[in-house]
Amino acid sequence: MTGVAISRYVPADRDSYLVINLVLATVILLVFIYSGIFSPGKDNYPVVCIHEKVTGQPCISCGLSHSLSLMIRGRIAEARTWNANGPAIFIFFAAQLIMRILFSACRVKYPSTGKELIIYDISGSTVLFLVAFFPFLINIFSLSGIH
Amino acid sequence: MEDQINNTGQGSAGSSPGAGYTGSRTGQNLGIAALITAIVTFVFAVIPCVGLIAIIPGVIAIVLAVVGLSRASESESRGVLIAGLVIAVVASIISFSQLFVAGKIIEKAKRGFGGDIENIIRDVQKDVLQDLEDAKISIKVESNGDKVEIKADTGSRSRIEELEELERTDSLNSGTNVKK
Repeated sequence: MTGVAISRYVPADRDSYLVINLVLATVILLVFIYSGIFSPGKDNYPVVCIHEKVTGQPCISCGLSHSLSLMIRGRIAEARTWNANGPAIFIFFAAQLIMRILFSACRVKYPSTGKELIIYDISGSTVLFLVAFFPFLINIFSLSGIH
Repeated sequence: MEDQINNTGQGSAGSSPGAGYTGSRTGQNLGIAALITAIVTFVFAVIPCVGLIAIIPGVIAIVLAVVGLSRASESESRGVLIAGLVIAVVASIISFSQLFVAGKIIEKAKRGFGGDIENIIRDVQKDVLQDLEDAKISIKVESNGDKVEIKADTGSRSRIEELEELERTDSLNSGTNVKK
């Protein structure tokens, strides 16, 4: 009975990792599609900055949609002018998309890779996230009075 | 062997906890859904403008994880569910903190606007008072070829000078009175 339970559990766990990777890759693709559909020239972005509406001054994430759209179009210098953090966040999403594909391929090709692969994935993703979103995290802590 | 091949998640006739296995699959599926929602929420919760909205998927992820934990059987690994729950809670806290951040921004904006208005009013008051103090009034009257011009200086300096002169004359008068 125990053998049966293990033989069922392991593939299910492997499947869940693949499903998570697949869905996350789809979400990242949707972000890129969003950035591709809305163009900075037309300025028809649905998300409006509350900070700018209230204060009249731009916040740290203002122009991020413009920046990502410009990065998709390969206009890096312009993307930096819209939002200085835009390129870093674009790189984070792009790296995540590549990571999802690579880690999934690795999981399928080498089924023996157990939790090690997941640990590498989590560690890498966390570091990438902290590096890319560091200014935003600092902004939250400084404005909420924690920092 | 049959069990190993028949891995569709429905459970075979040979395995006694068939219903439990289905339950654990449900728990596993809910765990996957919770983890994905939580990760997406976490990423968006950090971005200031989108962070406020991220509280909705955050709550959804928590609910999914909790339901998954309650449905998961004891033999099932709950790692995905717990990971989903923890990330969802952290993401929701970050998203909730954005409310405080928004509050601070509004407060700051109010202070800023108030300060600006006060400064403008002060500047206008100063300018008006300065203009009034420096104003020089001249009245010209013409009658039968005679011209009479009356000049009135409202400047603060002249008033001060007048006051000083008056004080001097008063002191001189009082001085002479004492001598007498």
